[in-house]
Order: sequence, then structure tokens, then C-alpha cells
Amino acid sequence: MKLRFWLAFYIAKFGQAFLKLLRKNATYFPGKVAIKICPEFLKYIDRPKKIIAVTGTNGKTTVCNMINDILIDNNYNVLNNRLGSNINSGIASALLQHSNFFNKTKKDLAVFEVDERSSILIYKYIKPDYLVCTNLFRDSIKRNANTDFIVDVINAELPKDTVVLANADDLISCSLGKENPKIYYGIDKLDTDVKETTNIIKDIKTCPVCDEKLKYEYARYHHIGKAYCPNCGFKSPESNFLVKHIDKKRREIIVKETKKSYKYSMLSDSIFNIYNELSAIAILRTIGLSATQINNSIKKMKIVETRLSEEEINGKKVITHLSKGQNPVAASRVFDYVQSVEGNKSVILITDDCDDAKHSSENLTWLYDADFELLNKENIKQIIIGGVRANDLYLRFLLAGIPKEKLIKIEDELETVNMLKCEEVEKIFILHDIYKFDVASKLKELLRKKLNTSEGEKE
Amino acid sequence: MKIEILFPEFCNIYGDYGNVIYLKACLPDAEFIETSLNDEPKFITEDIDLVYMGSMTEKVQEKIIKKLMPYKEIIKQKIEDNKAFLLTGNSFEVFGNYIEEDNKNKIEGLGIIDIYSERKMFDRYNSIFVGDFEGIEIIGFRDQFALQYGNNADTYFAKAIRGDGLNKSSKLEGVKIKNFIGTSILGPILVLNPIFTKYYLRNILGIENAEIAYEQDAIEAYEKRLSEFKDPKRTF
Repeated sequence: MKLRFWLAFYIAKFGQAFLKLLRKNATYFPGKVAIKICPEFLKYIDRPKKIIAVTGTNGKTTVCNMINDILIDNNYNVLNNRLGSNINSGIASALLQHSNFFNKTKKDLAVFEVDERSSILIYKYIKPDYLVCTNLFRDSIKRNANTDFIVDVINAELPKDTVVLANADDLISCSLGKENPKIYYGIDKLDTDVKETTNIIKDIKTCPVCDEKLKYEYARYHHIGKAYCPNCGFKSPESNFLVKHIDKKRREIIVKETKKSYKYSMLSDSIFNIYNELSAIAILRTIGLSATQINNSIKKMKIVETRLSEEEINGKKVITHLSKGQNPVAASRVFDYVQSVEGNKSVILITDDCDDAKHSSENLTWLYDADFELLNKENIKQIIIGGVRANDLYLRFLLAGIPKEKLIKIEDELETVNMLKCEEVEKIFILHDIYKFDVASKLKELLRKKLNTSEGEKE
Repeated sequence: MKIEILFPEFCNIYGDYGNVIYLKACLPDAEFIETSLNDEPKFITEDIDLVYMGSMTEKVQEKIIKKLMPYKEIIKQKIEDNKAFLLTGNSFEVFGNYIEEDNKNKIEGLGIIDIYSERKMFDRYNSIFVGDFEGIEIIGFRDQFALQYGNNADTYFAKAIRGDGLNKSSKLEGVKIKNFIGTSILGPILVLNPIFTKYYLRNILGIENAEIAYEQDAIEAYEKRLSEFKDPKRTF
């Protein structure tokens, strides 16, 4: 096996160098080749002494980027798979890239984003010291099936001594690593919390111990909140890192630890992004960074443009926001955010799965798990749906009670901007799938032209 | 018209609630009853026109079997009496003889329909499906850990035009016994198949002149999807 490893190592290493020479992206392919030649490649490749894995349905890329950026800003010698894939081949490529020709790593610390479905292939060989889980919800139906399945997949090879940092407000994340040491993070009761959420889906509704319907001290969205069982006393765990206060005006959060509370700048005022930031703070504090170090770095950061961007164009605010297709909770969270923003607004929606659009026909079951009803608001003046699935989304919006006169559907995504009536709105949201960032950028460019011409103003 | 949704806290994992949303839009005067796992199903003691159950996780299948087992004979009689049952996704597996797990362990099913399921947790079956149901083209998505086996030659729901039936060697999908329909098609089958839904409301639920909500919009979406599903260049 060792011989096979070295063969894989050098072929992949030279391949990586060759691709680099050609200025090609060498973040996935070399690892894939290495694992093909030596299936246990990850077992033998050298790795940093400390490993942090970040997983979860939503937010893992954002959290991973934050952790990496803050560590780098504080002069940590860190490697990551941010430019590659989050499956085993991406991790193999990242390790390979930072090892010398004698298979010795040049880095002290690794931060890996790990695809939940691939956990079983990764944790078998790469034993993380810490596993940060952002949240677990239902996701892509083809790959991830359901949360019971995903929890089993992650738990299957998770080492018993990995410290799990879980979202205390998400009972599904809390079920990871039953016997593992745990650190919890959460957000204290908010004014916007309710006793019971009205979202279509809640991936856990009953007590994991006795099956009684769960109740909530406070519920936030879907199954997120502080839950308890009225029958057997089971309840959400207490948080080691608890957001006690959110100041949206000053863009600050206060995080309470066991002995003391600390103030941090807030990167984004959406609750799901506050959870993301909190999870990054929790792991960084756990490995020894001071609150000041973390906060100084956060102050220099912003959420990457592929996820969220805001621009003022001729008096209108244009906001692009990632709305992952086939992911009902991600879509619902974004819809909730859009409806919560004050002022009159219009929405352009481009969430088709690019690959399915070309070669198959997108699985649409997720449309009926997502809360399109959230966009049924008086101050949302227009919803323009672009893409091959426009008919299906149009029907979904009708069933969500949205009047026909507010809806427009068009297959050509770039035409959506022409349908936009800009006059009566202050904000325009472009909600796009992860692989539609380019289209969203083009739309923004078209919108810039439209808004900057008198024609656009007259419409 | 009374419609009972069984165990929605568990049996709604693949967009199944879309059927309820659509039925509510099509039948605004109907009464919808949602029965949780800790309650006794209403259809056992009351006259219910349609019993609907959607997809669930594999772990939950055992809970549902345990819950419904005491009512097995009553359910059989209800089917015999032409009561309508609509089961989507893996919910109809619990009505079969057994579900065999990866480790060959057999989970006893309700034994109401003569099929069994073989579950493979690391060999997920993903497919799109086009089938013929009494001259109506049914389309749907299938993503499942288990495939079914058994003889449904006289009791199938739809004959595959594209895609598979109970399993990869079968062209006969699902089970239809009188007004009991169990299909592996996931989630919002009624929204995705407006022509079938109209037939279903009129001929199975017996609502004369029933109309479906947003008929033209639903048909337009259906026809686009159908053309994609039948396009041989498109794979699953």
C-alpha cells in the first residue's frame, strides 16, 4: 500500500505542478487522481497537527472563509480547501499542495470545509480535532436524502475524541457525536422569536427520546429555537457561547462566555449570518484566539460577493443574495430576509439548477418545502422569475397566494431586468443559485445601465 | 369532503405537503384533518373520503408500521370498501410485507399489499419517471433507498414509458387496488400532474365536475416538464 501511496503522491504532485504551470485550477483534479490510484491516500498524506472541520447544510463556506481569514490575519500558518471542492478529493488536493516532496506538510493548522455526504470518506482517514457544525436541515434530495441519513453518515466515522461545536438551537446538529465532547453556541431569545414557527418544514418536530411533540421556550425558524419536551424533560443544551444582545444600528453583537461577555462587530444583520459569525467566534476562541484578535479581524472583513452584495445605483439599492436552489431552508431564509427588509421592493429570482437544465429535468419537490408564502407581502411589488423552471415557480407563487399581477415569468434570465418596473420600489433583490453568480452579475450590470438612463427612470 | 393527512410531523420530507397545498386550493370547502403519530387515525372510526400519507425517513418507517399494525384489518376492509388512500414516496413501503435492510434484517410491514422492499442506504436510486395511468401521462421524481419487488401485474399504478417500475427490472410502477394508490413518485404528485389530479378528484374521490386550481398554469408547467422527461437526450 505504501508503494501505491508514493506512486499516487508523485503523479498527483507533478500533475499539480503541471496544472499550475498551465495556470489551471489545480484544486480538485490532483486529489481525485491520487485517490483513484491509492484509495487510502488520505490515510498516508501528511497533515498539520491541528485540524478543524466545518460542516453543515447552510453556511459552511461562509464560516470556513471567516475562520481562515481570521487565522491568516493573526499570522497562523494555515491550509484550507477554500479554492477546491469540499469532498475527499478537494481535501487531498489541499494537503498535497502544502506538502513538500518528502510528504511533509508545511502548515501547522488545517481548516477544511467538509461536505456532509462525504464525511464518511473523510473522517475515516482525517481525524479532526474539532468539528464545527453550522446547522443540519434537509438538503439536496438526490444526494442528502434526509437529516436522519445525514446524521448517520457524519456519525459513522467521526472519531470519538473530536470536539463537536454544535448549534444549541438546532437539535439535529446537537445529535452529532453522541458521546463526543461538546461545545455549544446559540443566540438568546430575540424580540422576533415566537412560540411556534409557521414554516412548512421542521426537520425535527418530536422529542428524540419519547416522540412527544416538542415545545419551544422560543422558536426562530423551522426547527431552530430553544426546545423542550413537555413529557420527559428533554431540552436544548445550554450554550457555552451565547449571543446575548444584537445591536443592528451599531452593527454589534455581544457574546457571553462562562465568565465574561465580549463585543464583536456584526458582519451581516440576518440571523443566519449571525449564527455563522458566532460559530466562527466559538471555534476561534476555543483554540485560543483572544476576543480582541478576532474582533480586529472581523472589522476588516465582509461577506464575499458571491453570497451577498449591496450597491446603491441612482437612488435604488440593488442587493444580490445567494439563494441556493434545491435547498428549501436556504431559500426560505433568504425569502424571510427579503420580506424583513423595510421599504418597497422587487425581486428577481434565478434559481435553476444549471446542470439539470442542460442534461435532465430539475427535481422540483423542494419548491413545496420552501416558504414562498413569505414573499406574499404588500411591499413586494413585483416578482420576476427567470429560467427554464419559470412555469413551475410561477405556479408555486400562485399557490403561495401571490396575485398574478405581481408575477412575471420569462425563460431568458437576462430578460428579467427588462420586465422590472423600477419606479415604485426602493430596493431590488436579485436572488440567485450558487452557480448563477455570473448571471446575477450580468443582471446587476444591466440594471446599472437601466437605472442610470432616463429611460429606466421613466418606467 | 373530509381529507385526513397522516402523521405530517414525520411524513412530509420530500415536498409532500405540496399535495395538501394543492388539494386545499382545488377543494376550498373540504375539511382537512392532520393526525399526529400520538393520536388515533380518524379514518379508523370516522367516514373519511381520502387518507393521504407522504414520504418519511427510513427510521420513521418502523414507527409508522408499529402505529398502524393494530389497524391492519380495518385498513384492509376500508380498501375493500373503496375508500381512497394516496401514499407517495416510501410511505407505501410500510403497507408491504417487509422491508429488508442492508444487513438482511427484515422489518415486518403491514402486509396489506403483496410487495416487499429492499433497502440499500449507500446505493440511492435517483430517476425521473413518465408512466401511463389509464391514458394519462404521469410524471414524477423518484429518489429512494429501497426498491420494491413482487407481482403487481394486475395491481400496478402506472406503466413506465420512461424510467422503471417497482425496480430496475420492472416497468410496472406502484400499486393500485380499488381506490388505494401507493406510488414511489415523491412529493407533490398532484401539483405536477394536473390532468391526473382532475381525473383523481372526479373519478376516484367522486367529485362531479371538480375543477383544479390554476388549471392553465399547471398544465403549461406540466407540458414543459413532460417534454423534457420524454426527451431521450436527457438522462436521470
